[in-house]
Amino acid sequence: MVVPLNTWVLISNFKLAYNLLRRPDGTFNRHLAEFLDRKVPANAIPVDGVFSFDVLIDRGTSLLSRIYRPATAEEPLPNVAELEKPVTDEVVPVVIFFHGGSFAHSSANSAIYDTLCRRLVGLCKAVVVSVNYRRAPENRYPCAYDDGWTALKWVNSRPWLQSKKDSKVHIYLAGDSSGGNIVHHVALRAMESGIDVLGNILLNPMFGGQERTESEERLDGKYFVTLRDRDWYWRAYLPEGENRDHHACNPFGPNGRSLEGIRFPKSLVVVAGLDLIQDWQLAYVEGLKKAGQEVKLLYMEQATIGFYLLPNNNHFHTIMDEISKFVASDC
Amino acid sequence: MPLYDSASSSAGSSSGSSSSSSSSKPPPPSQQQNIDGLLAGAGYKVRSSELQQVAQRLERLETAMGSSPADFSQLASDAILYNPSDLAFLVDSLLSEFAQPPTCSSEFIAGPVNNQKAVNNAWATAELHTPQAQQNITSEQQSLNHQLTVVTAVEEDSGIRLVHMLMTCAECVQRGDFPLATSLIDDMQGLLARVNTVCGIGKVAGHFIDALSRRIYRGIGGGSVDGGASTFENEILYHHFYEACPYLKFAHFTTNQAILEAFDGHDCVHVVDFNLMHGLQWPALIQALALRPGGPPLLRLTGIGPPSPDGRDSLREIGIRLAELARSVNVRFAFRGVAASRLEDVKPWMLQVNPKEAVAVNSIMQLHRLLGSDPTRKPPIETVLSWIQHLNPKILTVVEQEANHNQPEFLDRFTEALYYYSTMFDSLEACTGQPEKALAEIYIQREIVNVVSCEGSARAERHEPLAKWRRRLSGAGFRPLPLGSNAFKQASMLLTLFSAEGYSVEEDEGCLTLGWHSRPLIAASAWQAVREARSRVTWAG
Repeated sequence: MVVPLNTWVLISNFKLAYNLLRRPDGTFNRHLAEFLDRKVPANAIPVDGVFSFDVLIDRGTSLLSRIYRPATAEEPLPNVAELEKPVTDEVVPVVIFFHGGSFAHSSANSAIYDTLCRRLVGLCKAVVVSVNYRRAPENRYPCAYDDGWTALKWVNSRPWLQSKKDSKVHIYLAGDSSGGNIVHHVALRAMESGIDVLGNILLNPMFGGQERTESEERLDGKYFVTLRDRDWYWRAYLPEGENRDHHACNPFGPNGRSLEGIRFPKSLVVVAGLDLIQDWQLAYVEGLKKAGQEVKLLYMEQATIGFYLLPNNNHFHTIMDEISKFVASDC
Repeated sequence: MPLYDSASSSAGSSSGSSSSSSSSKPPPPSQQQNIDGLLAGAGYKVRSSELQQVAQRLERLETAMGSSPADFSQLASDAILYNPSDLAFLVDSLLSEFAQPPTCSSEFIAGPVNNQKAVNNAWATAELHTPQAQQNITSEQQSLNHQLTVVTAVEEDSGIRLVHMLMTCAECVQRGDFPLATSLIDDMQGLLARVNTVCGIGKVAGHFIDALSRRIYRGIGGGSVDGGASTFENEILYHHFYEACPYLKFAHFTTNQAILEAFDGHDCVHVVDFNLMHGLQWPALIQALALRPGGPPLLRLTGIGPPSPDGRDSLREIGIRLAELARSVNVRFAFRGVAASRLEDVKPWMLQVNPKEAVAVNSIMQLHRLLGSDPTRKPPIETVLSWIQHLNPKILTVVEQEANHNQPEFLDRFTEALYYYSTMFDSLEACTGQPEKALAEIYIQREIVNVVSCEGSARAERHEPLAKWRRRLSGAGFRPLPLGSNAFKQASMLLTLFSAEGYSVEEDEGCLTLGWHSRPLIAASAWQAVREARSRVTWAG
């Protein structure tokens, strides 16, 4: 039951920093958060076959996204005008990625997420669009979902992202932690509005509920995460006065809606065995199954949160393989 | 409880550093210093050999935290943190912060405490990024947005075509195919007529077409737009650029903060300003020094600037105004003007530095002008950095445009400039209701003309990115003085209050950058001379 030393240092550092940022009164030290967050700029010069550029999707909300594309052999150095050149393959998956951070931390240009998105490009032979959604507590529910929805509409309407086979954009939604939660809710909106999403990928998605579950009590404070901080983030994201049975937090709870009969995308859900909220994540999987939806669960017994950030453990490689297969199965 | 497996940590150190697409590069720095490659990818520099220690200290910090969790966010509000990429340093500073009572003087709680308090109190109740602020779009902006969405379909195509043609034209110019280049210029002028030139790509394209024309028709020796302009005009444009957008305010603010901290405890201080202009930077520093606990020091200011052609002594006039301000706040003040048309003509003896005083050398967008290209001479930058180094200032503050406009190939410079200036114009657009905007745009336009249409000694705007300045300054015998979380926070707060939504301050390994929507456009850093054990101070030239 160990994690590699550098992973431990990384995640402990985050835990420490995050403790500095959350105030007991529910406010957040945003300046210090931005100061401490390690960011990387977009890079139109391919590194390991991937280049990136930032696009302002919505001026009104300053909604930025970072787009990652594979560099092709013929055009090793894309210039300014060619960043939005049409994709050329028959089928090109477009993965819309929502970074984690419990709705309050991180950005699309955070180093850890930039690295992860770059990996996804090669893994899925996809274009990745990482959405810099508005964060809590300054922007509560439903801002993050609204931004996700805006990004989805934007991606769906880009001619240059259409696959040659059917002149449609082949969209997947992916996210970790709060990003996983956003994936679910944006997919719901997509289904209601007739935009096709081919698949949902949820890595350690952030769900919860009012009751205390067995895993929460057993693992509280044991592997970097405490119940207290989970509660803080929900209070920061959910509308004031709401509790954790709000449907945003607990989609299959007392205030949730049934997905029976709805055309919901197939889902790949990754749960870490040392994550204290796993009971909620497993309940989510059950909820999908009960509603007759296609879902594959990957339960990584010995994994802690954040295991997918550094490629130094077996769980990492296992789920990367599964993600690759999940996306490739439609090609 | 230790969860980590130290045996598997070695798996991290050699793998994971990304290789670049070019083959002939030296090994990435992470391998050279035995820095953990995987953590480097996450933005942290930790030596593999130190991982264990860092982990242990993190554990200690956690234990300390556990006993008084409420103190922790208080700690965060009070502490000043530096260079978060250096995890070992960060953890150590937090440990010493937490282990000592707050009244103990620690080098980590540096700074002008009184001044800080005044500043913080004024903004104590300001909300950051309130939802209202985000939706606070004026009706003017809204209608512009609407206009933009309606016109988008047509304009996007024309805009992209313009960019394509600009790139092609620049390539022709680089190859020397002027007939084709000139015909492209004509085509582009035609296309411009169909594109909205009030904002967006149309506006910046117009300036680039103009700059390319100058290069083609007037030749590169002809000189910059500056050639005919008077010092007076330049100062007016600079002043408008200062007012219209936050870049210069950020530069002044950040460097003043660093200078203030460097002067702490000194009674005689001397600021050398490499480009005085209207002295816009200095009233704030004078006032901050006036409020210093223990009283202000004796402040000398040496302002360098071009000579006034019309017999006026504009440097002296500014000095007099600053002296009046200093007197009104009881700061003993002395001013000296050094008139020089080029920074490289300034010699250290002209500054009359007194060995007992603490010196701050301040360079706002001046060093890049010294990167001139005469192969027969020693580059002026080396000469100047060398005498600064010998001066052994308490601090050297450097602000430079964050751009790569000094690459050898014209097309590369052109491409980079197109990116850079379109971002900058975009940011300027967001600052609505500023009457200074028009002249501020001319200020920026002159830079564009210089970067694109000039060569040799006429090309003064040789911007280089922070990474290159770091190497240059380290090589010239300086070490970095990190700008801390305090400066970052105050800069961020200033932006929130006084500028449009979209500007962002970022921390970059001890330096601060200001940019537009995640693209840094200007970078501020601070440095100190490295004193070798044996060397003595000698006066150069």
